[in-house]
Amino acid sequence: MSGWPRQITLDDWDSRYAELRAGGLREPEYGGPLRRHACDGDLRLCKLRFDNSAAALRLWNFLLTEEDRLHQARDAGKKIVGAMKDLGTVPVMAYALPDLVAFYPDGAWWTPCIMEGSDGLLKVADTLGVPDTFCPVRAMLGAFATGTQFPRPELLICSAGATCDDFSAIVQRLYDLGHEVLWWEMPHRRRAESCENKVVLPGGFTCSAGQVEMVRAGLCQVKESLELLSGSRLTNEALAAGIRRANGVRRLLGELRGLVFKADPCPLPALEMLIAEMLAIHFCSDPQETVEVLSGLLSEVRGRIAAGAGIWGTAAVRVFWVNPVADLRVMNLLEECGGRVCGTDYMFCHALDLIPEDVPPMEALARMALADPMVGSSRERAERICRDARMFGSETVVVSRIPGASHCGLEGGIIAEVVRQELGVPVLELEVPPVSDAMLPTLRTRLEALVETVREGRRG
Amino acid sequence: MIFAGIDAGSRAIKIVVLGGPDPRVLSAGVVDQGVRQDALAMELFERLLGKAGAGRSDVCRIVATGYGRNLISVADTTITEITCHAAGVRHVAPAARTVIDIGGQDSKMLRLNVDGTVRDFAMNDRCAAGTGRFLEVVAGRLGVGLDDLGEMAGRSRSPAAISSTCVVFAETEITGLLASGASPDDIVAGVQQSIATRVVAMGGRNLDPPIVFTGGVAMVPGMSAALADALGQPVEIAREPQMTGALGAALLAARGR
Repeated sequence: MSGWPRQITLDDWDSRYAELRAGGLREPEYGGPLRRHACDGDLRLCKLRFDNSAAALRLWNFLLTEEDRLHQARDAGKKIVGAMKDLGTVPVMAYALPDLVAFYPDGAWWTPCIMEGSDGLLKVADTLGVPDTFCPVRAMLGAFATGTQFPRPELLICSAGATCDDFSAIVQRLYDLGHEVLWWEMPHRRRAESCENKVVLPGGFTCSAGQVEMVRAGLCQVKESLELLSGSRLTNEALAAGIRRANGVRRLLGELRGLVFKADPCPLPALEMLIAEMLAIHFCSDPQETVEVLSGLLSEVRGRIAAGAGIWGTAAVRVFWVNPVADLRVMNLLEECGGRVCGTDYMFCHALDLIPEDVPPMEALARMALADPMVGSSRERAERICRDARMFGSETVVVSRIPGASHCGLEGGIIAEVVRQELGVPVLELEVPPVSDAMLPTLRTRLEALVETVREGRRG
Repeated sequence: MIFAGIDAGSRAIKIVVLGGPDPRVLSAGVVDQGVRQDALAMELFERLLGKAGAGRSDVCRIVATGYGRNLISVADTTITEITCHAAGVRHVAPAARTVIDIGGQDSKMLRLNVDGTVRDFAMNDRCAAGTGRFLEVVAGRLGVGLDDLGEMAGRSRSPAAISSTCVVFAETEITGLLASGASPDDIVAGVQQSIATRVVAMGGRNLDPPIVFTGGVAMVPGMSAALADALGQPVEIAREPQMTGALGAALLAARGR
């Protein structure tokens, strides 16, 4: 444990960094003070509150240097794969091959938030005919057009079909702009009919064996393209090893989530947990370093729990959070209002579940891809949310809507209804734009009211 | 023992002063909201204390609520308007199970437990189309007062269909309706229906009765009827609906919250 836990500002981090350095802090090559990222344009950092541990510093530095790593990989002769929308499937294959580096251009959706709009990506998307009636992931289009956020990948792979209408439309526009895209189809997950063989997927959803076969066939085409790019064959053994590595990351995250969401007092803030969870999808372009970063966080959390140290005590209301926020500031806001995150569904639960290791590896990946909470019915997703909320002892559920995201229009109401019926806890729906400063008072009122409501219920 | 609740809303500041062992309302008042929120609240507060025959030293606790609650420097604590409206409604209508509050800037629907505490709630998003602001815009566009709206809606034979979900676009739509010969009465009735429909969409139709209507918009004639029509259930207007939040804040102050 690197000091008593608390949340600190970017200004505080200047002195905290000096203190850690004086105490013998050893950093990886991407290490350094957080301040430099703000100086590089990540202005939102000036308004966030961060965990004060060395492990959290490493996490943030790892996240905010992904672009550098991609450029280094390009300089070293590696090929870059842009995986889009599948959230956790294609990178497992890519990292099982030599000389490939995978990342998610989708991640550009947070750039307008982190850079407080100074990146201009959304404006570029506007000019390309993709306005704010679409999900903020349209920032990715601006990133491709300007070439400012990441090196242009040698291969773009995108899942289409049941995944996301907005995303498909945005990538179609990208294709129009001259970017070749390899599409693979994701069917709408449905339960097997009586005449079909049923397959149980990671996380507990089920589907028909035919759907697994369809996705497996699509992924085989993806595999062939990756092999062509890499110049190497992806054997079952190599892919199985890649799956074991991915599962290593998922196990670390599973343990971290279990500890953080259940411990009292809360040992790690919601913001750092959100960033950590994202690593399950994309490894921040370095799977091995992901393991190091998560191991560091886990060690810090274990130390805090052993010392009875935490940031929020039992008074904090236990909140299950659904969907990632476009503005990271809102995770801080929840805690300022008296809440803490105990359970999450950030739309990629399938990337947190273990990939099966007892079936052929391509089928295992197909099963995992089909476990995506976003490719089935909203009711199924809501049922999983209820199950996980029960497991983590959540007292309320917040459904965060993303402006323009087509799935948010309907699913929020369905999730809220199912949660109210099954758990009998209050549910709050919020809409969070990429820069929410003007809405913070109203967001604060809602979150404070939610906390008051739960606390009043505790008294009763 | 004096307790006070200050509701710093978007359009008005409302204050209730309670006193006595079983606290009762000693004085209450409203002032229009302005840029100097804290000063406006203090002026009204001093006036109400004088009316109650009390001084600042007699005040045990003050709770501020409303969107401007954090600007009220004299407050001992702040509590959201959700909790305060529930407490206020519990006092004036103890059997209430649902509260609809429509203010100048937002609208809310509260589901209450049998003991009057909040079970769940919903609030409108950043759009003003389900709020009092919509009525102000329409009244201004038609050149009538807010008090006239109820009578106008009552005269309507065929309420206009207002399809816009945004006040800015709705204003344009109203201009178009006037140009096409729609009567102001039908436009007002259409706007009231539109607000009611949006509020019902926010909270759902399946609401437990009795339903109590609070907030400044509850004083606008015709709105409770529009809500009752949209809900298919009777809607009762709270006693002094504009003061419910401040009353709840004062009651919570008396309970030491």
